Amino acid sequence: MASKPLFIMLCSGEHEKIQLAAMIASVAAVSDRPVQVFVTMNALLAFERGLTPDQRYHGGHFHELFMTSKVPDAIELFAQGKMLGDMKMWACSMVLDLKHWETDTHLVEDLFDGPAGLTVFLADAEEGELITI
Amino acid sequence: MAERQTIDARGSFCPGPLMELIAALKLASIGDEIEVLSSDKGSAADIPAWVNKVGHSYVGTTEKDGCWSIVVRKAK
Repeated sequence: MASKPLFIMLCSGEHEKIQLAAMIASVAAVSDRPVQVFVTMNALLAFERGLTPDQRYHGGHFHELFMTSKVPDAIELFAQGKMLGDMKMWACSMVLDLKHWETDTHLVEDLFDGPAGLTVFLADAEEGELITI
Repeated sequence: MAERQTIDARGSFCPGPLMELIAALKLASIGDEIEVLSSDKGSAADIPAWVNKVGHSYVGTTEKDGCWSIVVRKAK
């Protein structure tokens, strides 16, 4: 039986929460489970194009340990999930509008499938399981 | 003829060793064996569970001095 699709709403800009979302999304995607990730609010700031890891990641008890240990980079984990599994990533269109950002020019390259609204994401999420981080 | 390769993922934390295994499986032929060396205890449990879930063959695990050798055979 096919696995239920997993929908992840990522709101927090804390490093450890972005890391957790990346771990969940990538492992689910490579385990034959369709995954969709909706990135909104502070979380989207961590996906700005051209940042160094020090600029990109902040906050949470485990932040320092992540930065000094061989923990996989969250952005790379999302990219691996997309490359190796059935995974889509959407950037919140409201936050993009507020920041005057475009997915193609302001966010990490080749990671997002496009902008999306909350209404569509929530409607799609009715088909599967939704978790919010 | 089936081949065997070793991935040295020692020092990498979850899910790094699993992701390295999956990338290697993509390039391997059916019947090839891949050995993952990992110092991450969680991955030693997670990799066999993943292998069984997605339908590859789990060959076995050995542990020595905090390093696990996990062997997987590509089955599909």
